[in-house]
Amino acid sequence: MKIVVLVKQVPDSGAERNLRAEDNTVDRASANNVINEMDEYALEEALRIQEAHGGSTVTVLTMGPERATESIRKALSMGPDGAVHVLDDALSGTDALGTSKVLAAALKRLEPDLVLCGAESTDARGQVLPHMLAERLGVAALTGARKLTVDGSQLTIERQTEEGYEVVTAATPAIVSVWDTINEPRYPSFKGIMAAKKKPVETLTLADLGVSADEAGWAGALTTVASHAKRPPRSAGVKVTDDGEGGTKLVEFLVSEKFV
Amino acid sequence: MLEGEERQALRKAVRQLAGKYGREYFMSRARAGGKTTELWREAGQLGYLGVHIPEEYGGGGGGIGDLAAVCEELATAGSPLAMIVVSPAICATVIHRFGTDEQKGKWLPGLTDGSLIFSFAITEPDAGSNSHRLTTTARRDGDDWVLNGRKTYITGVDEAHAVLVVGRTEDARTGKLKPALFVVPTTAPGIAYTRIETDLIAPEKQFALFIDEVRLPGEALVGDEDAGLMQLFAGLNPERIMAAAFATGMARYALGRAIEYAKTRQVWDVPIGGHQAISHPLAIAHINVELVRLMTQKAAHLYDHGEDYEAGEAANMAKYAAGEAAVAAIDAAIQTHGGNGLSTEYGLAAMLAAARLIRIAPVSREMILNFVAQNTLGLPRSY
Ligand SMILES: Cc1cc2nc3c(=O)[nH]c(=O)nc-3n(C[C@H](O)[C@H](O)[C@H](O)COP(=O)(O)OP(=O)(O)OC[C@H]3O[C@@H](n4cnc5c(N)ncnc54)[C@H](O)[C@@H]3O)c2cc1C
Repeated sequence: MKIVVLVKQVPDSGAERNLRAEDNTVDRASANNVINEMDEYALEEALRIQEAHGGSTVTVLTMGPERATESIRKALSMGPDGAVHVLDDALSGTDALGTSKVLAAALKRLEPDLVLCGAESTDARGQVLPHMLAERLGVAALTGARKLTVDGSQLTIERQTEEGYEVVTAATPAIVSVWDTINEPRYPSFKGIMAAKKKPVETLTLADLGVSADEAGWAGALTTVASHAKRPPRSAGVKVTDDGEGGTKLVEFLVSEKFV
Repeated sequence: MLEGEERQALRKAVRQLAGKYGREYFMSRARAGGKTTELWREAGQLGYLGVHIPEEYGGGGGGIGDLAAVCEELATAGSPLAMIVVSPAICATVIHRFGTDEQKGKWLPGLTDGSLIFSFAITEPDAGSNSHRLTTTARRDGDDWVLNGRKTYITGVDEAHAVLVVGRTEDARTGKLKPALFVVPTTAPGIAYTRIETDLIAPEKQFALFIDEVRLPGEALVGDEDAGLMQLFAGLNPERIMAAAFATGMARYALGRAIEYAKTRQVWDVPIGGHQAISHPLAIAHINVELVRLMTQKAAHLYDHGEDYEAGEAANMAKYAAGEAAVAAIDAAIQTHGGNGLSTEYGLAAMLAAARLIRIAPVSREMILNFVAQNTLGLPRSY
């Protein structure tokens, strides 16, 4: 089985993140850039499928600037066979729709049986890309998986919902997006780290993919961020005074916030 | 600047792994008298404990600089694992450099993935700083060796499968005693050990080791009977490099806590980090720790390029400076924390004893100063 894993480089969600004043885009230059956390789970799942099914290959696909190479190397150190890096100055400013166009073009070249990706990226959190890609490629989208079973060309996922899960099946080729409940990603072994540098990374431009520059980047963006503001400071919490009804009030609060 | 991409990626990976376990894990195990077995095993399986051993024995094909990075990052993340200094760094290195093919095949794969643990025993009750006084002796009996002696302050005997013991053999011609290294299983008849209680809070414990007419097969002798001293030095350079990495890791951990505390604790109008009396000692400590890291990397680089003599000098200097820098950094971290600096919750007071150890073992600061004065500066021997 040929598996492609989508890996995005994002600013570390554990640190302070900012939008740039001049163009309302994420400030990546001053951020500590890491692999989108959910993508590590997708990669882990791909590697597990590869280990269980002989003859499979796992390729990482990244669209991003030059410094995304760091994340590609990190991903490669976990064990996949190689990577494809879509790198083009004209990509700056690309929105979700444009991204799906570029990635779909790259996926058409790679012809995978299975595309795995994170359910969302921690910087944009749109959760739309897997669906857009499935639509453009004309393949099934199994999204929000907390469990994936592969039986020949038959894929079965447990789709995580707020109440529980749904069982969804499809045949390959398909795209599966995963949540962080699906597995526990491995740490790169020392051998994996040493091998990562020697693994092939193919660099593709928009021209290579047959996508014209005005279909991507600022030129091709159909959405714009008009303005942005800092998150307001946290408001004071709810104080429950226990006058004998404290327990009930606590439960009511937890229910209203959907904690229980 | 000095470390390549792979070394940096290794540091990151180790930091992540150790971060998953966290300081709490290490301290709660240490205080309860437990071991940090899960972390050791996982690090071993990921190849982190055998980064410096060639691939043919299951290792990573890197150098002692890589292993020092592993040790330092574990300690920086709150889990200083002392057995890394002993088992893979000293014992596996000696066996790899001087062992026969058979010995390497037998022991290296296990030492490399951490499934096999060796202690290292040189110190004796009457031979600490003065290793010329070693009295543990092996005599030939047919093809076998029979070993007798006593060792003290040996780390981790209770968790070790074997101890690499520095003893002496009698030169058949001259009758003079010369050092030789033996692999002694901890289960061998005639081996006994008792715990030496210390006020160090660490998962690894110290032991007095009694070796009474212990019969060993001929192959227990590591390498050449005549190369004992060289073999010893081969193990001692990595030991010093690793001790330095261990200490700087602890210092970085303590400084990290202190910086956090200095940013949040407010006594007057600004966080205490805004007072130079607090920020300057931390800045000085940071500078000294960074200098030690540089020297440690230099020593490792020399060692990994086969410059044993130059590596020895650098490793000793790094180890000396590491002990001083770590003690000062932890002391500054304690001062930053005020009363909390001595609390069990913050765990910094316990680190002071652990860092203090680096001034004493594996070789005392005085013996390093003797070495530098005499060997590097060419001054008269002072003892
Ligand atoms: C926690 C711990 C773990 C240890 N683990 C191990 C281990 O795993 N394996 C092992 O073999 N050993 C181990 N040791 C032993 C350690 O290596 C020795 O304690 C150390 O080498 C010092 O020897 P000593 O204790 O006999 O001190 P001594 O040699 O008695 O020295 C006492 C003091 O006198 C000073 N001194 C001695 N001679 C001179 C001189 N000529 N000039 C100036 N000053 C001098 C010393 O520097 C020291 O300050 C460990 C020790 C400790 C505390």
